[in-house]
Amino acid sequence: MTKDIKISIRNLFKIFGPDPDVALEYVRRGMNKADLLEQQNHVLGLRDINVDMRDGEITVIMGLSGSGKSTLIRHLNRLIEPTAGEIRVDGEDVLSYTEEQLRQLRRERMSMVFQKFALLPHKTVLENAGMAKAIRGYTTSDFEADARKWLARVGLEGNENQYPHQLSGGMQQRVGIARALVSDAPIMLMDEAFSALDPLIRSDMQDLLLELQEELHKTIVFITHDLDEALKLADHLVILKDGEVVQQGDPQDILLNPGDPYIVDFISDINRARVLRVRSVMKPGTDSGEDFAGDISERDNLETVLERSGGDTDLAFRVVRDGRQVGSLHMKDLTKALVPTAAATESHQRV
Amino acid sequence: MATYDSLFSSLGLEEWCSQGKSDAPMSMEALLAKTKGGNTEPESIWDAPFPSMDALNESCAAFPQSRELTKGLEQGFLAIKDSLSLILDPLTQPLSWFLDSALYAMLNTPWWIVIPLLLAVVYLVTKSWKLMAFVGGSIILLAFIDHYDYAMQTLAIIFVCAFLCVLLGVPIGIAMARSNTLQRLIIPVLDMLQTLPPFVYLIPLIFLFSVTESKLYGIAIILYAIVPVIRLTNLGIRLVDKDVIEAADAFGMTPRQKLYKVQIPLALPNIMAGVNQTIMMSLAMVVIASLVSAPGLGVLVLRGIRNLELGVGLVSGLGIVILAVILDRVTKASLARINASQKQ
Repeated sequence: MTKDIKISIRNLFKIFGPDPDVALEYVRRGMNKADLLEQQNHVLGLRDINVDMRDGEITVIMGLSGSGKSTLIRHLNRLIEPTAGEIRVDGEDVLSYTEEQLRQLRRERMSMVFQKFALLPHKTVLENAGMAKAIRGYTTSDFEADARKWLARVGLEGNENQYPHQLSGGMQQRVGIARALVSDAPIMLMDEAFSALDPLIRSDMQDLLLELQEELHKTIVFITHDLDEALKLADHLVILKDGEVVQQGDPQDILLNPGDPYIVDFISDINRARVLRVRSVMKPGTDSGEDFAGDISERDNLETVLERSGGDTDLAFRVVRDGRQVGSLHMKDLTKALVPTAAATESHQRV
Repeated sequence: MATYDSLFSSLGLEEWCSQGKSDAPMSMEALLAKTKGGNTEPESIWDAPFPSMDALNESCAAFPQSRELTKGLEQGFLAIKDSLSLILDPLTQPLSWFLDSALYAMLNTPWWIVIPLLLAVVYLVTKSWKLMAFVGGSIILLAFIDHYDYAMQTLAIIFVCAFLCVLLGVPIGIAMARSNTLQRLIIPVLDMLQTLPPFVYLIPLIFLFSVTESKLYGIAIILYAIVPVIRLTNLGIRLVDKDVIEAADAFGMTPRQKLYKVQIPLALPNIMAGVNQTIMMSLAMVVIASLVSAPGLGVLVLRGIRNLELGVGLVSGLGIVILAVILDRVTKASLARINASQKQ
């Protein structure tokens, strides 16, 4: 990991209520969320969050509703003010920003995509896409070419002069993404951006996002409650529960080595073959002694490999990156990796 | 012997009470009782009157009667009247000018200019030929039965007053939407303006301004009709989708950009509903305001009542109905046009 840290969150606390500073003391002394609500009548939003988000990566923050993920993402552009802690973007302390600097940050360095799209209903698709530029004082003719380009890129060519209510949900969210892209901001905040869409369209949109990321290398912070989505998109996965980070790291790592019963529960009913990738279960090295049945890419998921093997557990494959061998994968290892973690930690849970 | 004598004697206030004995004028009730011949039988508890100001006054002459209250209010008002009109007079003078010039313009422009102009405006805001034909037919009908001048006077007053209501009401509504404190302060005032019987507005205004001035009825109409546009502007801005506001913030809009590019456009359907209500209430008030010399169809209604001229009253009433239907349909059609472009 040589990429620069783009956004860094340190010791972030957020408490909702009339007197958060007093409540903060109780939380620092270890009071939990339920007690805080009952005894102090304050809601614990976030507790001691430390996350580094790297330049050009997709950081996914995952948690169930009420886990504080939407609160967390709103701290990054200060739509919500923290109770305590530090947020640095490009090394600068966002919390010390003046109103003008903050506006600058929101206009030029961060864009946001919302769960409910939040498009302006009285503006056309084109004007919506160019909203960030219009706010900065550009006229429609200034940003029209840009907006058209990105709208075409997200698949909305020909819809420029329609109004948002004339589009389907999926298309509206495409406008939302185009709006974020037209702003040219290096950081994209996506708050449950695909949660309101139906599964097929959601999967399309995920592919679109990955495709765009391939080419643009933005720093994306993505919020979701859907583990499959998180595993599909994440370079770095942060799992939140009740306002605390339960585990963070490479999603494949988390899947293979869950650090908490909560996560085990979470990952117990996902399709491991589809999520796990060759690189996380292969044996590294250029060992060529075995008789390989074929070449596979390190980024293939296990499902594709299974399909190629036809279910034969005696086969082994050569793993290649850019045409050179980086490791090997025996089907037996693959099968082992597919054993659900719940079974693997059974002895652990019996104690 | 009155019921509450003992109350004052027990409080040791007899001396204070007796001071007031001579100067209080006798009430009609007391006078009647006197002529009947005083009934001195002790009263039972069943007949005890409520200890109102008048009842207490019977026991203690120094205690004020309730008519002192209305009298005091009147005198208080008369005392501040001069200084009040000194401030209000110049402040409201433009209203007189607006009304007078609108009336003058409406009546001195030939009908063959005014009617097409009105129809053009109708088409411009509604984009409906059907509605325009309806409005044209209605105005021609009114003109044919020689009510053209009256109808145009009423319309001129409504235009001026409704315009000023919007001009003042929308900013007040926006300010209310931004501050909860201000909302708490203004809502009781709006409630009062809305529930106060319209005739009651007129009484203090008659004292403050001369009846010959057109601002007298202008103020009454504006006070009565401004309420819905304030309320609905406030409501409309408060109801703007929170997500869109958040998006506006997230993309770095200044408060001013947010107001003009998001809040007002999205609140427009509600604001326009308020404008519709305001126009309808202006029409209601302009009829009542004919009591204080507002010209227009209301004058005819008043004549119908005063002289019991049934036909005059009915025809002018019908004229008012026609105007109401025109104004309502036209504003609603333009409202529908705004709504159509704002669906979500």
